[in-house]
Amino acid sequence: MIEVRDLVKKYGSHRAVDGVSFSVARGELFGLLGPNGAGKTTTIGVLSTLLRADGGQVRIGGHDVATAAKDVRRLIGVVPQEIALYTDLSAHDNLMFWGRLHGLGGAALTRRVGDLLAMADLADAARRKVETFSGGMQRRLNLVAGLIHEPEVLFLDEPTVGIDAQARTRILELIAQLGRQGLTVIYTTHYLEEAEQLCDRIGVIDRGRLVALGDKESLISQIGDADMIRLSLPAARHEAFRAASATWEGCTGVGERRGKLEVRTPDGGRLLPVIQDWLRANDLPLEQLEIERPNLETLYLNLTGRGLREDAS
Amino acid sequence: MTRIWVFAQRDLRRMAADRRALVVNLALPLVLTAVMGLSFGGGVFGKKGLSAIPVAIVAEDVPEALKTRLLDGLEKSGFFAPVWADSLTADTMVRSGKVAAALVLPPDPLTAFFQADSLIIQVWRDPSSEIKAGIVEEIVGRGVLRVQAGEAAFRALWPEDYMTIGADSLGMGDLLEGNVADIWTRLRDPGQTAARERAADFLVRQFDHQVALQRALQGTAVGLAVSDKIPTGEDKQGESSLFDYFLPSFAVFFLMFAVAAGARDLHRERARRTLQRQLLGPGPAWPIVLGKWVASVVQGIVMLTVLLGAGALLFRVNLGPDPWTLPLVILLTCTAAAGFFLALALLVKREKVLDNLCTAVILISGMVGGNFMPVDNLPPWAAGAGHYVFNYWANLAFSRVIGDNGSLSSIATPMTVLACASVALLVVILTLFNARVKRGGWA
Repeated sequence: MIEVRDLVKKYGSHRAVDGVSFSVARGELFGLLGPNGAGKTTTIGVLSTLLRADGGQVRIGGHDVATAAKDVRRLIGVVPQEIALYTDLSAHDNLMFWGRLHGLGGAALTRRVGDLLAMADLADAARRKVETFSGGMQRRLNLVAGLIHEPEVLFLDEPTVGIDAQARTRILELIAQLGRQGLTVIYTTHYLEEAEQLCDRIGVIDRGRLVALGDKESLISQIGDADMIRLSLPAARHEAFRAASATWEGCTGVGERRGKLEVRTPDGGRLLPVIQDWLRANDLPLEQLEIERPNLETLYLNLTGRGLREDAS
Repeated sequence: MTRIWVFAQRDLRRMAADRRALVVNLALPLVLTAVMGLSFGGGVFGKKGLSAIPVAIVAEDVPEALKTRLLDGLEKSGFFAPVWADSLTADTMVRSGKVAAALVLPPDPLTAFFQADSLIIQVWRDPSSEIKAGIVEEIVGRGVLRVQAGEAAFRALWPEDYMTIGADSLGMGDLLEGNVADIWTRLRDPGQTAARERAADFLVRQFDHQVALQRALQGTAVGLAVSDKIPTGEDKQGESSLFDYFLPSFAVFFLMFAVAAGARDLHRERARRTLQRQLLGPGPAWPIVLGKWVASVVQGIVMLTVLLGAGALLFRVNLGPDPWTLPLVILLTCTAAAGFFLALALLVKREKVLDNLCTAVILISGMVGGNFMPVDNLPPWAAGAGHYVFNYWANLAFSRVIGDNGSLSSIATPMTVLACASVALLVVILTLFNARVKRGGWA
């Protein structure tokens, strides 16, 4: 359904998107995971025909976004990160406007607006001005506004930013429901758990480059199935710890990040007592120790050296 | 066309829902203008000042020399622009509003005056020209009062002479001729009975002077009659008051703020990303900006119509000679204003910059365009600069229609300028918007 090949978008000399390639099958829920400034929104901008690419090719439903933008627009719906609604109008008036914009009208539009308001649990608040809505309600309306013309492809650009956990859950349910209905979705986020929960496949983007691509399991397998034990020790004892770890069975390596030691092992449960014994023998207090199972965060850290919550810049 | 109206309708709904904007755009200008207008008393203003009250003079059988003197006197007074007219012409002129009033003397007024017949001077007023006609009435009334006072004094001092012109009124003369001894001798002389009687009569008459003076002031032979002439409505030339000037110029001034806010909305829509969402709709992009232009024009038309309508209802502002001239001025003013500020919005990248620029442009163009004071009162360089702002031409058209009751032909030049500016600005808007869409400048 979507083919992206060597996509490049530059702002001056800065390459916001730098040779990104991926494809999305019809009905697939594809996640684009990366921190703020990684190039996710720019990628969506090009895919949705708002931005012109400086290189590469994008085809949606067989149409080239550069040469057949009008055909592409008929296929796509976009839910921007911002609440792209008229907050001084009611929810009903907003949807009516977006519907008319797409050439809908009459009873069909009225019916569609009613359906979408019901889908977003906003039927009771339909005549209220959007500015009186909670953040979650605004997000839901923002989402269904992108569905008014029944698109085949939906771009969701961080649709859960700035809302509480309960509202986020409701949004994610809504998106999952769309996925089940067979809608092709590209979902950008910097929330790891959202990508893990929703997406069939995930592309990890960093500084404009796609650094990993695949389903959740295949991505995690890229870093092996190693557990990570993190502990804090006085810096003066790091070398002694490294030396000792070389003799421990099951320890595959020791690294250091932000003043903490990171011990990789296939089975954290078995190595942990060994570490504790060494600490006692050396009369060292256990200040902080944690075991981390392999996940996308670990993958991202491995690939970029930074956390997902940190800005790409 | 449908798509344009979809965008325009959306903006109009939003404007109607914005109560604060309604107060700022409608109530505030009306209140402010009313305060200004009423503060100045709604009097005549500027070039159409006190020196130019048109008055028709009707005076038949008056010597030519006196006519000339009267005309010169009225003109030199600085208050009137008098014209001679016969009774019928004067009546037509008053009813059509060409003159504020007519001063009508009766046939052969000198004979009537000197022979003590009743002399009634008439003032025919144009009731729609209340202020100017009132000034004429007041000045003529004061003149008549002076004549009445002189007449009263004359009658008080020489009541018999006044009443019996040509009779012997000097009986005392015989008695009082000579020196004091002679007078005393005559008074004591028994043969001077007739002279004594005449002297006694004289004294009696002197005592009667006070009574006569009182009577004179109660009823005079020279009078003033004032009557209103019902306007015919044909070729009516309304009165130019200060309010007539202030209302449209303030309305245009506030229109600029309202339309500028509409133009700023383009940037707000971009920041809120509703603009980008619209760009993702099917069809070309230009109806988006054209819809915004249409909404601004409609908003401006409503605003000016309400303000001028309220001005007409509450303050008797003249709405022009016919039903189509003023609406056309309103329409072209709004199309030019909407085009101007949208073009400005498209030339600027950030809303903050546009905000400051709009404020500066409105104040400067308001100044040189004549929204705060008539352009004639500005220094030549400023008045010259005014020709390059649309509001100058709008103000000119409004002042000619509302102030001078000018018809469409009298505003051909400002209307042509506004129409050409509207078309040119529309082309600029569409070109700039499409260019920015193509280079992804709105994303």
